[in-house]
Amino acid sequence: MIKQIIFFCFSVLISNQLAAQWIGYPTTDVPRSKDGSVDMRAPAPRLPDGKPDLSGIWISDNTPVDEPSPSDPFSLPSGRLMTNMGAEMEGGLPYQDWLIPIVARHTENLAIEDPHIRCLPDNFLRAYGLPHMLKFVHKDELMIVLNEMNVGYRQVFIDGRDLPEDPSPSWQGYSSARWEGDTLMIETIGVRDGTWIDWNGSQIGEQARIIEEITRPDYGHLDIKVTVDDPVAYTRPWSVNLRERIVVDGELIDEVCLENERFVEHMNLEY
Amino acid sequence: MNRLFLLIVTTLFCVSASGHHSFPAQYDINQSVTLNGVVTEVQWTNPHIFIMMNVENEDSGDTEEWTLELGGPNTLLRLGWKRNDLKPGDVIEVDGSLARNGSPLVNAESIIMEATGRRMLAGSSRNDN
Repeated sequence: MIKQIIFFCFSVLISNQLAAQWIGYPTTDVPRSKDGSVDMRAPAPRLPDGKPDLSGIWISDNTPVDEPSPSDPFSLPSGRLMTNMGAEMEGGLPYQDWLIPIVARHTENLAIEDPHIRCLPDNFLRAYGLPHMLKFVHKDELMIVLNEMNVGYRQVFIDGRDLPEDPSPSWQGYSSARWEGDTLMIETIGVRDGTWIDWNGSQIGEQARIIEEITRPDYGHLDIKVTVDDPVAYTRPWSVNLRERIVVDGELIDEVCLENERFVEHMNLEY
Repeated sequence: MNRLFLLIVTTLFCVSASGHHSFPAQYDINQSVTLNGVVTEVQWTNPHIFIMMNVENEDSGDTEEWTLELGGPNTLLRLGWKRNDLKPGDVIEVDGSLARNGSPLVNAESIIMEATGRRMLAGSSRNDN
């Protein structure tokens, strides 16, 4: 009995410590296997209207196909395409001639011109691969994506609205989505010229039209097929497949880059 | 209890990184260094935590001031750190990678607190890009 009391007190102490930081705070409605581990292959949750609920905290999933994905909030890998979005594409990304020397320079100088390094926001394509948590808050007609990096946000409207005409360019562009079966088809336009999408400095711009086809095949994963049609930057449309995995018992902790960024100072660069 | 143990083990051994900057532009992954010294200042800040420490040069006997770069607070909190784990006066041993420009700057991979023997991962971004 004494052992049980000591264990109880110890557990309360530990859980209070964890809860105080919201690290380890238990996520609700997590499907679990008999051994208590998260059942990543359990059916995806659904919204009241029957569509898949994409809500959750997500991070790049680089787990080999034959291994189970983790669900913890501790291992935060970079996406496999974060360095080079065209790494798995034969011949790489189909850059227009003007963009080839620019990307070559960015790659050669190890991304010291990267807007990310200068604390500017990451476009959603890049955010899928950076080791920072994304929180999807999904309602019937709206999905909000919160990015702990630079306290970022993105709005995806699912209310049938048309995309704006001649939009003022923005960091995340303008996103309107519709369902095709259980796939959320997001169409985005209006991103800024020179928007970096990987560490090599590949870019998209104002003429880009981006389609994301998002499915949640099970509780633990999002599959995202991205198609970019940007005739100014690329000779043809191209597609990549990205995968995210769920994070349970974790929470966003903000990372405001401008607080004490010293890379530029250490590298003797200029803003 | 098994879950608690799993949480602790996972926290200690999973590699978590803070992918803010271009690691290879600033640090040389092939230039590893181990430093022993005394903490003089802790900047618990985003996007990277900086620790200043005094290190005695074994050859000259002079005291050198080194700067350690760690991951950001969110990375270290997830690795099990508390923001006051390191304080001025603490004696530590650091493993990390040297800055390419020859300055006394290190991207820290792990830190051992001499007082407790505790080894903590430092959220290095060396494997990010």
